[in-house]
Amino acid sequence: MEEHKEKIKAFLSPFFHNRQLGEDEDIFALGVVNSLFAMQLVLFVEKEFRVTVENDDLDFENFKSINAIAQLVARKLNSDGRLPA
Amino acid sequence: MTVSRISLQQPLSKTYAEELERRLFFVSADILDFELVVEADQIQAVNVTTSGAINETQLADKVNFIVANDVATQKLLPHKVIWQSEGRPDYQPNLFARLLEKDLAFQAAEGQVSLSEPLLQLMDGLDARLKQMAVSLLGAREYRYPTLIPTRVLQECGYLDSFPHMLMFTTRLHNDVDTYRAFTAEYQAQGGVGSFALSYCQNTDYCLPPTMCYHTYHQLRNRQLGDQVVTSRGKSFRFESKYERSLERLWDFTIREIVFMGSRDYVLDCRQRFMQAAFAFMEELGIAGHCEVASDPFFCNLDTAAKIFSQKMLELKYELRLNVEPEHTIAVASFNFHDQFFGERFHIKGEDDDWIRMGCVGFGLERLMFAFLCQHGLDEQQWPSL
Repeated sequence: MEEHKEKIKAFLSPFFHNRQLGEDEDIFALGVVNSLFAMQLVLFVEKEFRVTVENDDLDFENFKSINAIAQLVARKLNSDGRLPA
Repeated sequence: MTVSRISLQQPLSKTYAEELERRLFFVSADILDFELVVEADQIQAVNVTTSGAINETQLADKVNFIVANDVATQKLLPHKVIWQSEGRPDYQPNLFARLLEKDLAFQAAEGQVSLSEPLLQLMDGLDARLKQMAVSLLGAREYRYPTLIPTRVLQECGYLDSFPHMLMFTTRLHNDVDTYRAFTAEYQAQGGVGSFALSYCQNTDYCLPPTMCYHTYHQLRNRQLGDQVVTSRGKSFRFESKYERSLERLWDFTIREIVFMGSRDYVLDCRQRFMQAAFAFMEELGIAGHCEVASDPFFCNLDTAAKIFSQKMLELKYELRLNVEPEHTIAVASFNFHDQFFGERFHIKGEDDDWIRMGCVGFGLERLMFAFLCQHGLDEQQWPSL
C-alpha cells in the first residue's frame, strides 16, 4: 500500500505544483486541476497498476484523495487475485 | 429521398447509442434523418436519409471521425439519479399540436415559437417563483442584460472550443458606402438575399448569447468580490440543427439564470440549497420527473471525451428532467459547479485572494412550461396555483 501511495503522490505532484498533499486531502477541492485531470488520473491508475477501472468504480469517492485512490488500487488488485504490494 | 448505409469503421457498443444520436445531425446538414443499425448489441452502421445522392465516402469519414473523437473514447459512467418525484399525472397527448390548433402557439420558423395567453402568464408565473426563490433564499440581485454578447466573451468562456456547433453569430453589412451600393445592386439582381451577402459582412464581433451567465462573468471581470448571487432572465440562442422540436428544444428560448460566486463551500451550498428548493417546487406543482448527473453537449473537440468524463465523475452538472410523456423526459434545468474556471478566465478574485469559485443554475422557461402543460393540460381551472 505504501509503495502505491508513493507512486500516486509522484503522479499528482506536478499537477499540484509540488505542493505537499495530505493523504486524506480532497485533491479536487484545491481548485488547481483542470477539466482533463480526472480522465488523466483514471488512465494513470489503469496503466501504472495494470488494473481495469470498471464503470462502477468511476465514483468521485474513489479518486478524491491519495488514500482513496490507494484503497481502490488495493481492491482492484485483490479482486484480480494479485496481492497489494 | 435517398437512404445510404454508412458503416462504422469499428462497431460500437449499443450503450453509446444516445451519445451518437445526439451528435449525428451536427455531422452534416445533408442528414435529414437517421437510424442506427444494431446487430448483436453492436452499432454496425447508420442508415442516413438525404434529399438526394451524396458522396458516401465523405459522409462516412465525417461520421467515423465523430464516432472516434467524441463517442468511442468516452468512459460511460453509471446513470446516477439524485431525486425522483412522486407525481403520477395524466399526460396530454399531442400537446404541441393542440397548442398550434388553438392558436396559443405559432411556429414562426425553425426552433422558434411565438406564444400567446394564457401561456405567457404561465411562463411568467413559473419564472416569478424561481426568481423569488433566488432572492429570498440566496439574496440574489437581479440584472437585465442586452441581447447581443461580444464574441470575445464567448471566446473567454471557452464556448468556441467546446460548443462550435451551437454558436450563432450576428453580423451586418460592413460599414462602407461602397459595400452598401454593391450589396444593394447584387441583392436586386439576384432577387433576394443568399450566402453572397456574407462577402459584404466583415464583422464577427457579436454573437447571440447561448446562456445568461456569460453576461454575468463579463460584467464582473477584474474585480475582487465577496460571496454573492446574481440572477437574470433573457433570451438565449443555440443552433440545435434538426434536433429542434416543439417547445422541447428551441433555437431561441428564455433562461432564468442564477449565478453563485464566492468560496467553494458557499457556492456548493448555494447550489445544493437551490436544488432542494427546486425539487420542493416541482413536488408542490405535482410534476413528475427526476434529477440526474449530466454533462454538457461538448462536440468535435480534442478533449470532448475527457471533459464529459470529468463533469460526470465530479458531479459538476445535474439536470432536472421532467416528463412530457410517461417514458420521455426533457431537461428543464441544470445545476452547475464551475469551480475556479470562470474566475480565472475573467480575472475575478474572491476574498481569499484566490480565483473566485462559481456555480450557476439555468431554467429553460419554455421547456418548464411545456412539461407543466403536458402534465396538467390546458384547462387553467385544473392548474395548481402559482
